[in-house]
Amino acid sequence: MLEQKILNIKTRAAGEIKKAQSEKELFDSRVKYLGRKSGFNKILKSLKNLSLEEKKKIGPLANAVKKEIDEEIKKAEKIIRSKVDLEKEKIDITAPGKKIKRGHLHPLTIVQNEIEDIFTSMGFEIADGPEVETEFYAFDALNIPKNHPARDAWDTFFIKDQRSKIKDQNLREKILLRPHTSPVQARYMQKHKPPFRIIAPGRCFRNEATDSSHEHTFNQFEALVAGDDINAGHFKYIGQEFFSRFFKKELKVRLRPSFFPFTEPSFEFDISCVVCGGKGCSTCSRTGWLEIGGAGMVNQAVFEAVGYPRNRYQGFAWGFGVERLAMMRYKIDDIRLFYSGDLRFIDQF
Amino acid sequence: MRYSYNWLKELSGTKLSPEKLAELLTMRAFEAEEIRKTGKNLDKVVVGKIVGIEKHPDADKLQVVKVDIKNKKLNIVCGAYNIAIGQKVPVALAGAKLPGGLKIKKAEIRGVKSYGMLCAEDELGLGSDHSGILILDKKLRPGMNLAEALKLDDAMIDLDILSNRGHDALSHIGIAREICALENKKFDYDYEGLKMPSAKTDKIKVEIQSKELCPRYIGAVMKNIEIKESPSWIKSRLITCGISPVNNVVDAANYVMLELGQPLHCFDFGKIKTMEIPNPKSKIPSIFIRNAKKGEKIKLLDESIAELMEDDLVIADSEKALAIAGIMGGLDSGVNPKTKNIFLEAANFNPMLIRKTRMRLGIKTESSDRFERELDPNLAEKGMARLIEIISETAGGKLESVKDIYPKKVLPWKIKLDLAYLNRLLGEDISPKIVKKILENLELRVTSHESRVEAEIPTFRIDLKTQEDLIEEIGRIYGYEKIKPRPPLAPVKPAKANDQKMFEREVKNILAGGGFLEVCNYSFYGVKDAGLAGLGTIKHLELKNPMNPNQALMRISLIPNLLKNIRDNLRNYKEFNIFEVGRVYWPNSEVLPEEKIVLVGAVVMNSSKKGENSGAEGFYLAKGYVDHLLSRLGVMGQYYDDFNSSPLETFRTLWHESRSAEIKIEGSEKAVGYLGEINPFVLAQFGIRQRVAMFEFDMGELKKISETEREYAPISKYPTIVRDISMIVDKSVKISDVLSSIQASGGNLVLDVDLFDIFENEKENEKSLAFHIIFGSADRTLESKEADALMEKIAADLERELGVKIRK
Repeated sequence: MLEQKILNIKTRAAGEIKKAQSEKELFDSRVKYLGRKSGFNKILKSLKNLSLEEKKKIGPLANAVKKEIDEEIKKAEKIIRSKVDLEKEKIDITAPGKKIKRGHLHPLTIVQNEIEDIFTSMGFEIADGPEVETEFYAFDALNIPKNHPARDAWDTFFIKDQRSKIKDQNLREKILLRPHTSPVQARYMQKHKPPFRIIAPGRCFRNEATDSSHEHTFNQFEALVAGDDINAGHFKYIGQEFFSRFFKKELKVRLRPSFFPFTEPSFEFDISCVVCGGKGCSTCSRTGWLEIGGAGMVNQAVFEAVGYPRNRYQGFAWGFGVERLAMMRYKIDDIRLFYSGDLRFIDQF
Repeated sequence: MRYSYNWLKELSGTKLSPEKLAELLTMRAFEAEEIRKTGKNLDKVVVGKIVGIEKHPDADKLQVVKVDIKNKKLNIVCGAYNIAIGQKVPVALAGAKLPGGLKIKKAEIRGVKSYGMLCAEDELGLGSDHSGILILDKKLRPGMNLAEALKLDDAMIDLDILSNRGHDALSHIGIAREICALENKKFDYDYEGLKMPSAKTDKIKVEIQSKELCPRYIGAVMKNIEIKESPSWIKSRLITCGISPVNNVVDAANYVMLELGQPLHCFDFGKIKTMEIPNPKSKIPSIFIRNAKKGEKIKLLDESIAELMEDDLVIADSEKALAIAGIMGGLDSGVNPKTKNIFLEAANFNPMLIRKTRMRLGIKTESSDRFERELDPNLAEKGMARLIEIISETAGGKLESVKDIYPKKVLPWKIKLDLAYLNRLLGEDISPKIVKKILENLELRVTSHESRVEAEIPTFRIDLKTQEDLIEEIGRIYGYEKIKPRPPLAPVKPAKANDQKMFEREVKNILAGGGFLEVCNYSFYGVKDAGLAGLGTIKHLELKNPMNPNQALMRISLIPNLLKNIRDNLRNYKEFNIFEVGRVYWPNSEVLPEEKIVLVGAVVMNSSKKGENSGAEGFYLAKGYVDHLLSRLGVMGQYYDDFNSSPLETFRTLWHESRSAEIKIEGSEKAVGYLGEINPFVLAQFGIRQRVAMFEFDMGELKKISETEREYAPISKYPTIVRDISMIVDKSVKISDVLSSIQASGGNLVLDVDLFDIFENEKENEKSLAFHIIFGSADRTLESKEADALMEKIAADLERELGVKIRK
């Protein structure tokens, strides 16, 4: 019977479609079952000869089957298309990956960030000031009087005076490149009252010949803590904490006598050698100690210069070079590399 | 200063070895920079007596000298002519390795065997003289070891004296006093007992005309002096301390200076002009301490000629300047081998004066070093007393006359020290007993009260003025290592964040994350660099004393130094991106310049494209980075405007005028930054052949525009429709105009427009563009035909407004 015939075609087609392995086979099946010359097409064509009753019965069936086969083929095609020959796609996984361009922060930035983070974690505020300074903030306010031999310790760059209105040289304030970050102390204290804890990082300049350990441009870090009863023991503690955290090992601090006009007492500041821990090695010239910087208890004259009453507050101030810390950290042997702009240096950080 | 260990030991009685002593001083007083055994490397150098001198048979300029070294006589070929039979000379034997590095071997010089060498002073490390063989004291025995004969078995300790201690510690008694205090004992030296012997005052006239510059002047006349060599105990100590012996008078002055710290000067009394004085009427040699006359000249001991100014101070007779006060004596009035009578000076001069004059003249002497650190006027008397004592002993002579002008006597002063404050500042608990002992060992006179002590400061400790100065003395001698580290007590309070620093850090991180390398350059460049970069006509701050002409200007732009970085790095890299964040310094009418923190990024690409648009990839890459940076900083609505409204017209020569833009933010005409290629002409000037694109921002401004708060925009629930449009436009048409036209025609149903293809047709002066247009609505699903209608309107508007040809 015709109805049975249609169902048989459907079964056969379904079987063939299931077995098909390639798009070509599916195409053949489509031609075979749904093509113009297909048996199915013949059935469809012969429908017009049927009785109305039969038409009503066979017609929808035939169309449904046709649609079903078509969908089956499409489905099968999709599956076949999605199948990938994984074996053929074998690649050499040892070939190098595509180069991703990466950037680099300057080592001084990295070290500076780290120093700032350690101090901020101890509650220090970061203060800032100009690099081109007046003689007042760079020297006078720090108890370094004019024409005093102590000024020789800072080989200072001066700015040519371009304002010629004032004839008397003495009335004109000399402008210079700050030889240390200490002017920031004075500027900060003029605006704030103790207690406070600040650091003042920044670029400084000294008119010195450059060699592997001296640069006329360098970065200093200055810490200043003031309050009612800040003492030398507190300074030792903060120094020890900072360096132990920066070098990630327990370090000791050693103070030796020194002289700075803006502190009294003044200290030279050493830390136990970060390489040998104090036993003595080539880095510390067998002494077990490394010279780090200068420090001291803020001279009352400095407090007075910024308007605090004498002997009302106590504090310590402390400065060291960022380059030196970076050199110790990364074992850099030539300070000039920092300002060389050489990317072969910078891309190592 | 260099110190003799033996001398310090003699004065202080210390039992420490030179090394231990140096360590003690380093930790508690002054850093020892060097310890050197003197007489080192002189093992095989002996005293020889010249017993014969013959001409070398085969060399005109050489002699064959026979020396007796006790057990044998050696032949030595020698080229010096200051020798004579009977003299004692240093003989370096074969095998000696001299301090100067010279190794002595047996040698044959032009056919004559030579068994050693006769030495000059410099070859033995005893001084700098190389004019002839060092002639030794006649009394020395031949064969003696030279180091032993010259008493060189000493150690030199070089101490770095802190700048506020020059007045007492630049002397052996100063350090010996320190050693005693550190060893917790009294200094046993009769300083008080050093008093000037009495003498008449009428053989010399001394007049201080500039009183404020010379607080004290002592002059002494000694007659019938015999100028000769100093005894070896003086010479050896001078040598250890690095001073070459001259003669017994000059050496005595130097010896006393090293011992007490008082600079002294000796004049030939016969060279001082006499002057008539009224009462009693007579003619006597007269000394004036007066300001120099403008242009006055003096020939100094080192034979240089100094031209003086009115601010300088001189020691003069009635006719001319004999010495520059406190700095250096004149050649004419100096002591010479024929001098019979001498005039000795022990004075005190104003430290500022000495410093000013010596800095202007560029002279630095042992004397000026001490005077410019300020000396105790009472020390002058001690110096003079000791000088007279030594000269009497080593040069004979008799004290004739002394004149001491000292109008304002300096007396000891008192400091009150609060003991609680002492411990509060050091963070220690030092007992009053220890405090008293330490101060007394430093020769302070101490009276104890309940909670404080009062200390009388001897005038030689000029540096002790405040109670903090005393606290320092107590702290260092007590031992800083005993101070225990302890955390300060402070309220828990978050530190105020430094927003500008945080922002800088963020910007740097974004750029480094995007492939940029950070460089740091000097804050200077030269006039030449400024000119090359087209910044030559802009006013810069100028250094008065630059390291060199290439570092004479304070930068107003980071670009010149970055261009140098690029040029240098192109030797090693073909492509790279660098940036710098740093300050620029703009002169203004204020006292200080305006310092701005600026960011400049540079994109260096190795472009392969040819033709009109060649190298512009760098520009667009830089632009992409700018967009990326701004987006990361939360800045929205930036647009790029032609580079022509800049207030800094001169910057135009630095940037490529057809490939640069001002970066602006919607709603403002003010540029927040610049983007562009650097003018190829400027690049060529810097030796860069590749194209370079840069962007520049003022960090302060950038921070301001990035501060707008971000707010969440709800995500649309409805799907979007994407349509493409491609067109051919005239080259002059700007893409930003096409974009804004599309946005305007489409209205708010156009969510986004993306340029995805751009192609320039070189010949036809046209370019073709293709965009994705994304349609959508926030409140409903857009129908396809709505998008179609909008596309038609967009196309029509583009054709009408910009004359584009839409590709169908």
